[in-house]
Amino acid sequence: MLAAGRLAGARAYATAAAGVSMASTANGIRVAASEAGGRAGLASVSLVVNAGARFETAASAGAAHFLKAFGFRNTQERTSFRTIREAELNGATLTAEATRENITYRVQCFADALPYFVHVLAEVATATKFAEHEFRDVARTVRLEALTARADPVALALGGVHQAAFRCGLGNALHAPVGSPVATSDAVRQYAHVALAAGRVAVVGTGISADALAKLVGESRLAELPQAPAAAGGDQPAAASFVGGTQQMYETAGPVAHYALAFGCEPRSAHALAALLGTQRRLKWSGGVSPLARLAAAEGFSADAFSFAYSDAGLVGVLVAAPASQIKAAVQKTAAVIQRDLAKPAPDAVQRAVAAAAVDADDALATHAGQLRVLEAAALGQAGAAPAHVDAAALGAAAAAAFGSRPVAAAVALPQATAYVDTLGF
Amino acid sequence: MEAFARAVQKNSAFRALCRPLASTWVNLSGYRRLGLRYDDLLREETPIIQEAISRLPREEVDGRVYRHKRAFQLSLSHAELPRSEWTKPQDDYAYLQPIIDEVAAEHAERDAFNSMATTTTTTTKK
Repeated sequence: MLAAGRLAGARAYATAAAGVSMASTANGIRVAASEAGGRAGLASVSLVVNAGARFETAASAGAAHFLKAFGFRNTQERTSFRTIREAELNGATLTAEATRENITYRVQCFADALPYFVHVLAEVATATKFAEHEFRDVARTVRLEALTARADPVALALGGVHQAAFRCGLGNALHAPVGSPVATSDAVRQYAHVALAAGRVAVVGTGISADALAKLVGESRLAELPQAPAAAGGDQPAAASFVGGTQQMYETAGPVAHYALAFGCEPRSAHALAALLGTQRRLKWSGGVSPLARLAAAEGFSADAFSFAYSDAGLVGVLVAAPASQIKAAVQKTAAVIQRDLAKPAPDAVQRAVAAAAVDADDALATHAGQLRVLEAAALGQAGAAPAHVDAAALGAAAAAAFGSRPVAAAVALPQATAYVDTLGF
Repeated sequence: MEAFARAVQKNSAFRALCRPLASTWVNLSGYRRLGLRYDDLLREETPIIQEAISRLPREEVDGRVYRHKRAFQLSLSHAELPRSEWTKPQDDYAYLQPIIDEVAAEHAERDAFNSMATTTTTTTKK
């Protein structure tokens, strides 16, 4: 029932975005592509592995981050030096990124170089050596990225609400923890080995048709991938469930304190709900007309709405940043406004939010990054994670459900000076 | 000349002729009597071999250092190990040479790219 609903959603989306086509290879790797890839001659191809941080267990905490950092390293066929030099000669850009759900290795290049880079990506997936001496380099990169994230209060607060809301699974940290159990390249190889089955890999392209891309993928090493995971433990993780009422505390004595307050919601309405919170400035000389935006402007703190949409869960909320001495009052006032004005939103506010969300969704589609997100979501059946249109009645109901429930919170502040989620009256 | 040498080495008749002599030759060279392996003797003062040694797993490095120290000590005291402790042929495997080959290939590849004369795009090279 649920699966059928998701599939229908993906199809609805695929028709909404112009020029999206889907295909799959003989061994079941799904391929999604959009030929309208911007200017003629430009193309991109991404290998998306459904092996993000939510798949980590206690024994592999941080493995997804390491696996991301192992992208484009030495393979059986070619050294990482050669990969990089040939990418330079082709004027291509190689990137690797990890979200809580997926790890994406991406190449942006000219269309005539696509066959070559499909082979490169296939080797990344199937033939990376995971040599021990490379692990030392990779570990240094991973450590720097993790330290950078831990030094950023916004990243801390947003990670904190995930942890409070979903505990493990989607709550897993994006970055490898200090003293991660992943201490050798063998541990990374193990994690990759479990993840790399045709059902958990998708190839996404722009500037090429899905059939042409599927043909290239079928000729590459990806055609050798097994249908099912090669080792035990490769199944889907437990479905995400939102547990409200807890707060994550990160003690810091900085001059500015941060506090994230987040509510669980359906993934498809997450973005529209964030638009309903309405702290985004859409007119140059106005702070915005939403109650939260006016409160923040009047009181001299900042309140930014955020939303996260995953395949089976959504998170929407507001990140309050205020001088450390005022954070408690700012959070309390924010919570009061959400309870008063947003749990039962006025019809015109809902209308504004629907319009803003629709513009944002289409605006995202007009960019390369937004297109890739839609293609990724379609290819891996994560329809909820793609930006979508929501109608007014549905948004009103979603707002009542989300903002009437018990939220989670994460504070990056002094424990003596901050607010606590169970005292906010939800 | 190198091609000629490789052809001779690959020649099966030549190999059949040499094989019986090989182990005698290795035994006569004497390093096994000091408990060393052949790869312990490779000249390590080159960037390639330094890099290769840095890629060895920890246990191999420990064993290598131990064998070197023991061999120096034996050499200083003009002694040999008792026969039972000589390096056994099955222990005398190439633990370093494959890594040296790999590093040498990487250096050669880097030199080739750094001295590339033409600017044709290299596409679809599998």
